[in-house]
Amino acid sequence: MTGTRCTYRDEDVLAWVLGDAAGARGDELTLHLAECRPCRERAEDYCALDRSAGACREGAVIRWRAFETPFGRMRIAASRKGLVRLTWRPLDDDAFVGGLEERYRKAPVVCDCDYLAPVEEQLREYFDARRTRFDIPLDLDGVTDFQRHVLTATAGLGFGEVATYTDIARRIGRPRASRAVGNALGRNPLAIVIPCHRVVRSDGSLGGYTGGPEYKEALLALEGRRDLLDEDEPALGLV
Amino acid sequence: MESATLTEYRSAPQPIDVPVDDWASRYGDELERHVTRMLRSVDEARDVVQELWVTALRVPPDWGEGSNIRAWLYRVATRRALDVLSARRRHDGALETRSRELEPERPVRPDAAFRGLSREGADLVRTRVAALPSRQRDAVWLRWIEGVDYETIAQRLDCSQDAARANVYQGLKRLRRELAGLWKEEDLR
Repeated sequence: MTGTRCTYRDEDVLAWVLGDAAGARGDELTLHLAECRPCRERAEDYCALDRSAGACREGAVIRWRAFETPFGRMRIAASRKGLVRLTWRPLDDDAFVGGLEERYRKAPVVCDCDYLAPVEEQLREYFDARRTRFDIPLDLDGVTDFQRHVLTATAGLGFGEVATYTDIARRIGRPRASRAVGNALGRNPLAIVIPCHRVVRSDGSLGGYTGGPEYKEALLALEGRRDLLDEDEPALGLV
Repeated sequence: MESATLTEYRSAPQPIDVPVDDWASRYGDELERHVTRMLRSVDEARDVVQELWVTALRVPPDWGEGSNIRAWLYRVATRRALDVLSARRRHDGALETRSRELEPERPVRPDAAFRGLSREGADLVRTRVAALPSRQRDAVWLRWIEGVDYETIAQRLDCSQDAARANVYQGLKRLRRELAGLWKEEDLR
């Protein structure tokens, strides 16, 4: 601009490019862009940046969402392919996001707007005993082949159906690997949806549960398997 | 979408008949002058304005009472002129096109193939977005990538609309700084 000083700030130009600058002020800036070289060059930059948004429309992204459940605050995360994490362990949102950032360094980890609402809805229905199976795409790309076999076999267990660690080991063709099966399930990134709570020990005891044994009992109780529980120690009392 | 269409039908004497000729005779000259001032080229300015009429036919603005058609035309023409400048300055704008008002019928210059970003370029953009502070990242993603309005973003992030907007702007300003070198590099490919 020649003569007078330009009064437009960086934010004004950015607002114009984003389509946020409505009304007279936006119109003034439109005309101003023909006059003022610094503003025009800024606008060019922001237009170029705007076009590069396409890089994010296609590529990897991790969306996360948190909501309250009878188990406390539940946090879920998904890639474009499917759910990658479900946990209610007592960590805060920042720690959850930090863990995802560490795991997915190149993918922006962003808070979800609507994308994961159907997943939340299905989990709510499950906790309300109105749903017995999940219809949610899963993304198991981050796990080892062995763990994927174990998780896939476990995912085949229906509502209220239980199997032993040895059963799962047999199903994946590794009959002597029941301990390794237990370890793999202990690192199940998708609790509940991949029902590792339905896998118990051969001696009839429930076995461990990463989220805490009381949650395993509560889930089995929710699924109508109070017969497996120790009568003296009531579960969390979901139902 | 439906209501917008209904508005158009109500306000337009004949729904299909976009009065582009009328606009061209009323505003054509001043738009060309405006764009020429930006591009310093009468021919290119004429191209931009011609293209504007095509755009207006394909994606007609709402020209009902109270709508400022002149402002709309200026805005779209300016946006396109900036794209031309950008392509010129960056040699052969090796960037994916993305524009809210219009989809280019053809590259801004016949020889400027608007390729997508290279794989490395796209990775870099994502990595820089991923490295934004989380509030800015959330806000930038929702506004810039998903086109969510500020009211919804504010609800989602549990903050005021002003704060949501400030986070979007801070994030994009930072990206502009951090990615400034990218476009030049992409041009050299």
